[in-house]
Amino acid sequence: MSADGARVLVVDDEKQIRRMLRAALEGYGYNVGEAASGHEGLGQTSIFHPDLIILDLGLPDLDGIEVIGRLREWTQVPIIVLSVREHEDDKIKALDAGADDYVTKPFSMGELLARLRTALRHAAKLEDTPILTFGELSVDLAYRKVTIRGEEIKLTPTEYEVLKYLAQQAGRVVTHRQLLRAIWGSNYQEESQYLRVYIGQLRRKIEADPSQPTYIITEPGVGYRLITRDY
Amino acid sequence: MKTTSHKTSEQNESVQKRLLSLFGSPLKHYAWAVLSVSIITVIGEILTPHLDLINIVLLFLLPVLISAVRWGRGPSFLSSFMGVLTFNFFFVPPIFTFAVGNTQHLFVLVVFFLVALVTSTTATKLRNELEKATEREIRTLTLYELSREIAAKADLEQVLKTFLDKVAETINGTAVVLIQDPNNEILYKMAATLDNAVFDEKEYAVARWVLEHGQPAGKELGIFEGARSLFFFPIKAEDKTIAVLGIRPNIESAALSPEKQQLIETFANLVAVAIIRLQLAKEAEQAKWLAESEKLHRILLNSISHDFRTPLASITGAVTSLLVEGSVYTQETKDIFLHTIREEAHRMNRFVENLLDMVRLESGALKLNMKWCDIEDIIGVVLRETRDALQEHPLQIDILPDPPSFMADFILIEHVIINLLENAVKYSLPGSSISISAHCQDRTLLLTVADPGPPIPKTEQEHVFDKFYRLHSSKHTSGTGLGLSICKGIIDAHGGSIWVDSSPEYGNRFTFSLPVPEELSELTQTREGTDNVG
Repeated sequence: MSADGARVLVVDDEKQIRRMLRAALEGYGYNVGEAASGHEGLGQTSIFHPDLIILDLGLPDLDGIEVIGRLREWTQVPIIVLSVREHEDDKIKALDAGADDYVTKPFSMGELLARLRTALRHAAKLEDTPILTFGELSVDLAYRKVTIRGEEIKLTPTEYEVLKYLAQQAGRVVTHRQLLRAIWGSNYQEESQYLRVYIGQLRRKIEADPSQPTYIITEPGVGYRLITRDY
Repeated sequence: MKTTSHKTSEQNESVQKRLLSLFGSPLKHYAWAVLSVSIITVIGEILTPHLDLINIVLLFLLPVLISAVRWGRGPSFLSSFMGVLTFNFFFVPPIFTFAVGNTQHLFVLVVFFLVALVTSTTATKLRNELEKATEREIRTLTLYELSREIAAKADLEQVLKTFLDKVAETINGTAVVLIQDPNNEILYKMAATLDNAVFDEKEYAVARWVLEHGQPAGKELGIFEGARSLFFFPIKAEDKTIAVLGIRPNIESAALSPEKQQLIETFANLVAVAIIRLQLAKEAEQAKWLAESEKLHRILLNSISHDFRTPLASITGAVTSLLVEGSVYTQETKDIFLHTIREEAHRMNRFVENLLDMVRLESGALKLNMKWCDIEDIIGVVLRETRDALQEHPLQIDILPDPPSFMADFILIEHVIINLLENAVKYSLPGSSISISAHCQDRTLLLTVADPGPPIPKTEQEHVFDKFYRLHSSKHTSGTGLGLSICKGIIDAHGGSIWVDSSPEYGNRFTFSLPVPEELSELTQTREGTDNVG
């Protein structure tokens, strides 16, 4: 696995979580820094110079959303948010405020590591290849060609745009609002029923079983994610 | 100027009224009495050739009786006198004189006069009693109406409103109920017929006095002689004044008749009973609620201690085994420990989710985040969540083609299906097949989760959705009995329904229904029209 020595700052007030994350991440060759509060996290960011921040939204001193806002004033370092299942609104707010992704507590380490790699890869902008491949699905950006299990499929222009946007963000969660704004423009950013329809159509064309999707998965209440082979 | 002229005309009217009446009867009634005697005299003249004198005199009792019954004591006395005189004058020989010829006629006259007097007195008395009885009946009827109306009202505000309307109607004025704030000394207006019924300082002081002493005050009632007519009555229950009734007649400087005063006091007693009744009902409800929530807490604590400790025990056991130095376990055994830890942690997390759902449902803090949803999408998310739990059960999924979209809270419906699936897993043997099917019928979406487990007895079917209900046959199975009650709570909140039907042939089928609104289909259709496959 990647022992690239990327620097990860863990901002969480729970000592046990920090200890566990440090052990796990160091095991994978990451260089780990810790902060126990929002203020400390903001300070550590300018001292430790992390390549990625894991931020718990339930901090005792500062609202997690505020921490994201303050960080985004001066740095584009990827932020992965730790949240609890019941607070979809917080996740959406965090993503809209500039967080890159989230994991829901309790999370599996495999899931967190996959998100981490995706976020680091996106930050490094390593994916300027014209053909994006995910298992048996490939999207040829140059020729607007989509193939699944070796066969080319016909997509409407809108379906193609939705798939292209998800593929370019592969592995990351894309909120309803982000997708709507990217494809229909900012006037449509509240009309999530458009998305529902197009995602349904895409799944019927791409997925072997649309009720058990393996490519485009729903993040309940938040948005969609095109999953890569990472998990 | 205007008010003085108004006042004089009012005074004139009352003077006229006094002049027009004599012994409590208007002059008009005396005139009627005179007229009736005159008519009888004429009739008597016509009948004289055919009748004896004794029979004629009986005719003259008629106006006396009529006067007594219809016009009162004065007119009936007048009729008696006039009857004696006219009979004597026109019929007793010598005719057209007041002289009486023989002793027999004198005797007739005297007896007639006595009979007339007795009749008129008795009839008048009867008439008065009838009037009183009618008045009493009206009063009883008013009281009955008020008590019936008050009894029908379930909240204090409505009771007071009805009560005040009645009082205002009775006294022809406005009324207000003042209640003391339990936290401080201020009297505040609880209800009023007119919103602008304001009192000055002095009047408030009187109201306070009434509250403290429990005695009425106002013009002619004691302690208070204000410029404006205003009366305060205590509203008493069990010797304690709980509120003050203030009334102000529309006519200024009007007094309150003893009957009215009595009636209003009766009203006040009636409303006091109603207020106490409402307070008791409220207390009883609170007590019931407390008892129920106490029971809930007890069961909840038991279940928390059981449902948290069981997975914790497995986790602790597995972890401590792994931590033992110089471990004797093979990699295979270690994997078993690790999987146990993961499964038990997952179980605890699900339990926390259910507890949170239940608390939100119980506290009424459940806010539905209603969005357009596809059942296929929700099932997809559910299957991803329950992948591990469903490992040992082949799954059949049967979703109708092109399922209609519906409005729902995605995550809560997801919780419902997860609970139904976990329930199916819990009560059926490993290896048995579980099925999920979704259908649509008359704008209703039906989702069924079926398991081949032992059928739930008919008598228990309606109880399985009760909170903490456990099947009698399954006391050994772990679980809180929360899952299905949460399902029901969530589905009810969506305006749908949930039920189970069981049979030895197919096991148990849990089904919920959700309404499907008319979709905004034109939106997607127009888009599709311009968005052809290219």
